[in-house]
Amino acid sequence: MRKTAIYLGLIFSIIAVVLAALPFSNFAFVPAILAFIFGLIAFFKSKTGVHKKSTIQLIFLLTIIALALATYKSVYTVTEVGDTEQLEQREDNSLEESIEELDDIDISE
Amino acid sequence: MKHLFLLLAISFSLLTKAQNNAFQAGEKLTFTAGYNMSGLMTDFAQVTMETSSVKTSKSTLLRLKCKATTYSKWDSFFKIRDLYESYVNPKTLTPYLYKREIDEGGHYKYMKYNFNPISNSIKSQMKKRRSNGTIWEVNKNYGISGNTKDIVTTIYHLRSLDIKKASIGDSDTFTVLFDNEEKKFKFTLVGIETINTALGKKECFKLRISLVNSDVLKGSGNLLWLTADENKIPVYAKFKVAVGSGELKIKSATGLKN
Repeated sequence: MRKTAIYLGLIFSIIAVVLAALPFSNFAFVPAILAFIFGLIAFFKSKTGVHKKSTIQLIFLLTIIALALATYKSVYTVTEVGDTEQLEQREDNSLEESIEELDDIDISE
Repeated sequence: MKHLFLLLAISFSLLTKAQNNAFQAGEKLTFTAGYNMSGLMTDFAQVTMETSSVKTSKSTLLRLKCKATTYSKWDSFFKIRDLYESYVNPKTLTPYLYKREIDEGGHYKYMKYNFNPISNSIKSQMKKRRSNGTIWEVNKNYGISGNTKDIVTTIYHLRSLDIKKASIGDSDTFTVLFDNEEKKFKFTLVGIETINTALGKKECFKLRISLVNSDVLKGSGNLLWLTADENKIPVYAKFKVAVGSGELKIKSATGLKN
């Protein structure tokens, strides 16, 4: 049980850090909470015997990093469109070309 | 992104053709495209739909333009800059020229259809960028059925129809030309719902969309809500993906006709 909790906690904490670093950082909260729960289970199970706690500490550390990064990004990242200069240029060029192409068309026909 | 447009590209020809009282030149609708997984939502792009008048030496046409642009946080991950245009008769919404230029994460494709509504034929041009950077071009001429429209015109044509006269459960199919193929969309009026939108609480027509003989847009989770007023603004769209769902939500609407 203790080992399973450590493995699951470690896997979820790594997933949480990876998701937090990606643009869809909102999704990091779910694995981060799961990693925290498994970390707690592993921590309390380790209390009963003499066990090394370094992996559990790593789980908590990664979870904290993931939560901090995801929270920071959700608060401070502004949802705005990127550079659209090229797209606007394409729109203008396309309009000019289209007017030339449509010049012969008479819609009253 | 292609599916977002596919989802929007439905029509509702349950009724006789109506006059276009839904939109005019100068209208601009802005949407947020996002992905929803178990209530966790992430916005990834902005979609705009704009109309404007275009004057040529003989006629005045209506330019229908749809754009999709990823938000800056996604640009380094998967950059999308899509442009869809259609030049139509402002009264009948008959398309004369359609252009689709997509740039999605380095994948570039250009598609142009020159419609001939008299002979019901298409002159199409497709350009694709190969992996080595060179452009591959294919030109084709072929016939189409009389009621076939491009994807952008179809979205606007849908809005021009008198949906309020349809009964709940009514369905029909509509032909859309996409990637040089005529695709048949089946759509059903599921009901009338009041939903909360960025424009306020709106009573809407809820439409279910499916693509005939295709796995795309399969199931009952592909839905579109149009306001049940004269403007028939597409305020919300939802489409099912393998895990979770894609969503398109209205952000703002300006230059409305009514």
